[in-house]
Amino acid sequence: MNKYEAVIILNPNLSSKVDEFKKDFEKLLSDNSFKIIKTEDVGRRQLAYSITNHNKGHYILFNLEGDPAKLLEIETKIKYNESIIRHLFLVVKEHTIEDSSLLIESRNKKPEISSENEAPKKEVKIETPKKEVKEVKEEKSDDSKEGTE
Amino acid sequence: MSKYDLPKKFDHKDTDILRQFITETGKIIPARVTGISASNQRKVTKSIKIARFLALLPYTDMHK
Repeated sequence: MNKYEAVIILNPNLSSKVDEFKKDFEKLLSDNSFKIIKTEDVGRRQLAYSITNHNKGHYILFNLEGDPAKLLEIETKIKYNESIIRHLFLVVKEHTIEDSSLLIESRNKKPEISSENEAPKKEVKIETPKKEVKEVKEEKSDDSKEGTE
Repeated sequence: MSKYDLPKKFDHKDTDILRQFITETGKIIPARVTGISASNQRKVTKSIKIARFLALLPYTDMHK
């Protein structure tokens, strides 16, 4: 058994699907008998340089405990996951209990989080125009009937 | 005493601390200039290199 610290950088365009990814990833870890001691969702962050044409990345940190042989299987699966831009598993002697400085930094920057909260409102807005479109179509069909007359 | 903030344990996620040890162009400042102990310099260097891989610190100022 080794103690690991994992950093995973996700595609920023999939930020809304982070919870789904987390569930899948936790399943993958538990299938390989990995114990998750702590997770930190740092959120979107500016990258110091662009990775595969992305300037931002969604950082997630994990504290793990597991078998080194199983880690290879996990890494081969991660390799072909296109939503992961970059990942790193580090062996550590002891896990840090305190929150990482990255998480504290992201907490201090709150405006970005509020903008994410606005996303569901937009979805509601999208629904209303659809109805309008239907009405417009009906009107158009009326017009065509008039045209034929 | 020292002109640098040295933590008890170096971490690749503490970018503010590591930024003290890189130049404006992103290079690691040599031990003969920083003057910190050889043991600490090795830890700093290692964590800077990890932070660079995770795009927390730049390799150079010529990116993009």
